[in-house]
Amino acid sequence: MSVVVIGLSHRTSPVELRERFAFVEAKIPDALKSLRESGVASEAVIVSTCNRVEIFAATPLETAKAFVELKKFLIGHHAFEDPINDELYTLAEPQSLYHLFKVACGLDSMVLGETEILGQLKAAYDLALKHGHTGARLNKAFQRAFHAAKNVRTHTNIQRGSVSVASVAVELAEKIFSSLGDREVLVIGAGDTSEKTARALLSRGAKSIIVANRSLDRAQALASELGGRAVSFDDWAGEFEKIDIVISSTAAPHHILDCAKLEPLMKARRQRPLLLIDIAVPRDIDPEVNSLENVYLYNVDDLQGIAADYLKLRQEETVRCEEIIAEKVKPLLETNSILPQMDTDKHRFKTLPVDV
Amino acid sequence: MLVNWFTDRHFFMIAVAFYGASTVYSVFLWRRGFRKDDWVNYLLLAAGVALHTVAMFKRGLTLHSCPVNNLYEATTFLLWALGLACLVYSLLPRFKFLAAFTAPVLFTVGVFALMPSLDPPHGPKPDFSDWLRSLHAATILQSYGAFGLAAVAAAMFLMQQHDLKFHKLRAVLSLLPSIQRLELITLRLTIVGLVLFTVGLVSGEQLPRPDGKPYFSDPKVIWSALMWLVYLELIVARMFFGRSTRRFTIGVVVVFIFLLLTFWGTNLLSGLHHS
Repeated sequence: MSVVVIGLSHRTSPVELRERFAFVEAKIPDALKSLRESGVASEAVIVSTCNRVEIFAATPLETAKAFVELKKFLIGHHAFEDPINDELYTLAEPQSLYHLFKVACGLDSMVLGETEILGQLKAAYDLALKHGHTGARLNKAFQRAFHAAKNVRTHTNIQRGSVSVASVAVELAEKIFSSLGDREVLVIGAGDTSEKTARALLSRGAKSIIVANRSLDRAQALASELGGRAVSFDDWAGEFEKIDIVISSTAAPHHILDCAKLEPLMKARRQRPLLLIDIAVPRDIDPEVNSLENVYLYNVDDLQGIAADYLKLRQEETVRCEEIIAEKVKPLLETNSILPQMDTDKHRFKTLPVDV
Repeated sequence: MLVNWFTDRHFFMIAVAFYGASTVYSVFLWRRGFRKDDWVNYLLLAAGVALHTVAMFKRGLTLHSCPVNNLYEATTFLLWALGLACLVYSLLPRFKFLAAFTAPVLFTVGVFALMPSLDPPHGPKPDFSDWLRSLHAATILQSYGAFGLAAVAAAMFLMQQHDLKFHKLRAVLSLLPSIQRLELITLRLTIVGLVLFTVGLVSGEQLPRPDGKPYFSDPKVIWSALMWLVYLELIVARMFFGRSTRRFTIGVVVVFIFLLLTFWGTNLLSGLHHS
């Protein structure tokens, strides 16, 4: 019995196609049951996330036949009638196992090295396990994949650093301020990225948010969403004495903050450090303000540059990750036989009969 | 017994070798942008401090007093206080790299202290052994240790601030503490140093003066009083007159370098310390 994979991911298909193959979580146990009852798979796990829909199956069939049947199942289950070709990929052993490990380690993710997929994979596996759709082959493969993911996280820098503008901004704030717990954030201009950045800062414990926008209604709406307060656009400078972080993203065609305006404000703040995040294009803040004492200005290019550097570092780590994966997959391939039946609270290794 | 065959200077020499190894390793850490959070440097420094402690202990046992009777002993005491404080502070979250900044100071000053002329032979029990003298010497040298560690934290601050200002990737990649935390540590250590320095100066004034000259006529005392005033000015200007963090930290580094460079010279000129 070998482990095979069939599916589609962000690498092979657009979201419009992926969403048509997505499984509703509540219906996955039934789908797994019918898959096993069809005789195509004796064990199966369905992973359905926003970036991938994959079926991991331990099949008694010859792989080519198994792929045909699995494709039929996938298309039939979703009543998909349009033509589908390269968007759907199929992997047999050993590639299927390598793929599982890579997915668990975040190497196949849209954001290289992200950890969310590991949680999603665990949830998918737990669901199949709970309903008795896994057995010796998949139990061992998934548990080793989770172990490898832990190993990769411990021994490499694949998950290190931030790869989005919002998380880079948070990281910078943490390098400047001893704690984000008592920091006040001023959001000037209620754009999408500034909202994300403000949310990221709040999630790391920022004390409060003040929103200033040309449209006070929009400012109030965002402020209430973020649990902060809104001020009129003309009054934002009055808040400077209290705030520590400014996120600016207005549509103003000129600088709204320059040295002449900031210098007296810094004196009023007793030279406390100030992080300015200018994500507007054209820029809201005169780059000259970065020369002021205790002022740290980052524009969108600076933040994206750091995110890109981080991504590059992560990419450099993939070789080490693949070495770890190869090491962890090897024993699985060597013991390609069904293990004796074994039940424990946490690890259920069980040779399941196929209910045909 | 091997331990008996080794003199305190031998132990100190090996300790300096460990500080040297730590310095070399620190260069690698610096080149890698302080990204690797390992214990190698800490352990190298800890080994150095342990051997340094043995050296001080052996010398102290020989003299039956705190070993601060000549320039070699005073310098090794200063370095020991600095090394020990560094080991303790390095246990704080994100302060492990303090060792990387302290090791070069310990190594360079340690090599200098090993110059034979700084350690002239003295009797088995010098007259420098009553509790007030020991208190004076110990507090003064511990204050130098605190000033030294403050200078190290200030140097970390300046590097981190430079990286943040100029948008260097190292600013976010490095496992250094936030600049606000570094500034706070620098300020606190400077205050601790000043308190110890004050105790040292006041206790020194109580000591008998063999030549009967006024306390403030000795070059070392004048120099110490000047250093005291400079450190006081740094603290007061930062705490009460809003002097910028950058100027404060530069001041702490510069004053400590000046202290290190002039420490031996003023000792040699001092009648009180070179009777």
